[in-house]
Amino acid sequence: MSSAIIETNGLTRSYGDICALKPLDLLVPEGEWLSVMGHSGSGKSTLMNLVGGLDRPTSGTLRVGGEELLALNEDGLARFRREFVGIIFQQHHLVPYLTAVENVMMAQYFHSVPDEAEARHALERVGLGHRLKNRPGELSGGEQQRVCIARAIINSPKLLLGDEPTGNLDNKSTVMVMELLKELRAEERFTVIMVTHNQEVAAWGDRTIHLDDGVLVREDRLKVEGKAG
Amino acid sequence: MAILYKLIPHLLSWLGILLVLLRGFPVRRTVVTVTGISGFLLGVAGALLLFRAFQGATPFWIIKSSLGVGFLCLWGVSVATVYCSTGRGAMLLWGERFATGSLSAGAVTGITAIVAGAVSACKIPGADGNALAYMALVLSACALTGLAPLLEKLLPASFKVSPSGMLATLVALLLFSSSSILRLDLFSPLSMKVMKGIHDFVHQFMESILIPDHLFVRPVVWKYIGFLFGKEVGFWGGIVIWFTPAILIALAIHFERLPSVAHIRQGAQRRRLLAAAIRERRYRLFIPALALLIFAAAAYQSSFPSVEYWDPKPLPVTATPSGEIIIPKRGEVDLEDGKLHKYIFKQGEREARFFVLMNPAGELTVDLDACAICKPDGYGQAEGTVICYYCKTLIPLETVGKPGGCNPVPVPFAERGEGVVIDSMTLINSWGATVKATVRAKEGAK
Ligand SMILES: Nc1ncnc2c1ncn2[C@@H]1O[C@H](COP(=O)(O)OP(=O)(O)O)[C@@H](O)[C@H]1O
Ligand SMILES: [Mg+2]
Repeated sequence: MSSAIIETNGLTRSYGDICALKPLDLLVPEGEWLSVMGHSGSGKSTLMNLVGGLDRPTSGTLRVGGEELLALNEDGLARFRREFVGIIFQQHHLVPYLTAVENVMMAQYFHSVPDEAEARHALERVGLGHRLKNRPGELSGGEQQRVCIARAIINSPKLLLGDEPTGNLDNKSTVMVMELLKELRAEERFTVIMVTHNQEVAAWGDRTIHLDDGVLVREDRLKVEGKAG
Repeated sequence: MAILYKLIPHLLSWLGILLVLLRGFPVRRTVVTVTGISGFLLGVAGALLLFRAFQGATPFWIIKSSLGVGFLCLWGVSVATVYCSTGRGAMLLWGERFATGSLSAGAVTGITAIVAGAVSACKIPGADGNALAYMALVLSACALTGLAPLLEKLLPASFKVSPSGMLATLVALLLFSSSSILRLDLFSPLSMKVMKGIHDFVHQFMESILIPDHLFVRPVVWKYIGFLFGKEVGFWGGIVIWFTPAILIALAIHFERLPSVAHIRQGAQRRRLLAAAIRERRYRLFIPALALLIFAAAAYQSSFPSVEYWDPKPLPVTATPSGEIIIPKRGEVDLEDGKLHKYIFKQGEREARFFVLMNPAGELTVDLDACAICKPDGYGQAEGTVICYYCKTLIPLETVGKPGGCNPVPVPFAERGEGVVIDSMTLINSWGATVKATVRAKEGAK
């Protein structure tokens, strides 16, 4: 039995009157690939932001990687984000006037110190060895998202969060990105939580949870060989 | 209580010394506090004994020498630190081990505390008669020693003290403490030495190439050579010598090799270690930077001492038709009160400044308000001395009236009846000759 990397109890997040996330109990074992589905506004991004330390819950407990995020102050939370999580969004959030390598080096800089050779190697790993010096505007959507993956994994996170990373991509690019993530996960052994609208994308995971109006309504275990046994 | 106010810089230095020592020897807190306060008391007592055993300037000279030795040590250590940081690490390792032992904690603390105590004691005038002031000093020092460990706990953890940085700060604090005591001040004499050194060197150089300097060198050239003789050169030369050790230590830290992390395969972990090492190195730079700041404060105090001098405005005097200047002993001023009395005499374009002073032996003296070697910035009077404003040399009152060095140039005079009589031509000529020589020597011929 592997230990849980994420453990929530009665996790709630409301914005004023709107309750984006109703009390949620969720257990994610270390190494799992969890897909999160649900229609728009069902609280998927809210959950991701909480787990990634970008937002604080209204109530409940939230343990990630053995740390109670509610107990951390801003510095602690920043350190947690820096050391523990990698995030990929639907919008790529790359700096438009920096090259691919420089965008990756930014992440190194905020983590510790930049190391160009390592950043270049990371881009080679995501198959962009030939686009190192290109700016985001000169890259296709799939390539941009691969830069984001390189950026997200450069600091060896234990937890990789994707908030509809393939939402803007065509089928071919989507498959490439998912294959890449699968490969990287096999090497680096991080836990993946992937928000998606797409049934096929969700099928890459070990388990899918469905949110509706902030409530966990259904859970499918898709693969038997998942680590969570 | 005015004396307590005067002791503030010294007590502040003492607190700083304790904080730095406590941080520098983190596992030797008891040794530092106990040795510290005993050393300080010993220093105060030692200074008192010196004052009792020796007359005049000797006790100051002894304490000042110990400060000088400390400064030289700092120079040595700073050069060694630079040497070690270039990769010859064995000595550094040895030094680090030595620097954390309780023996060295005791030794460093003891020596620093003794000097700090002795310096503080020098601030109190009248060696023995001031028991109350000594009590105040000792009690405040004890109180600060009790307070220091608590304050030290409040300092941020990132405030790290390396052995060489500690030495720099300790020496800087001692020099800061001594810089407000004229007779212990190191910076002004240092810059004067530099100035004299350059002055002599230029003359020697001129002689060596067989150019009689004052006669044949063109005024234009003098403008440049004269700069070398100026006070500014001495000042800046002094500043360089003053600041270099702390700068060297800072550079050594800045260029220190980072730990080798190449063997760590995971990039994030490797970079994390590297970043931590860089951050730690940056934190350690704080201490030499602090030392630099304190050195600057000491140099400032030395250049603009807050001591108040007796410095009366020169009273204009005139000569009789026969060319005599007559100053009554008990007119507007009492010439025999032991204070400096300045006068200015004008004759057409020419003028001369002089003063009348009764020395401790009870003899009246008349002297130019200028010496034979410095620019004629004049003199002020402090306790037991007059000071040349230009080179900050202290002339004991006993030797005023004797020629030589930076002593005020004596003027022949006669005591007649109830007055002092000076020949105005002699005065004017003497002033003219003195000032012409010094101005040319210092600034170059016009
Ligand atoms: N910053 C916010 N302020 C107010 N309401 C918000 C905020 N962020 C999200 N919401 C609301 O919370 C609900 C869940 O949002 P979200 O988690 O972004 O849904 P999803 O990502 O599943 O589409 C929505 O009703 C949304 O309007
Ligand atoms: Mg969303």
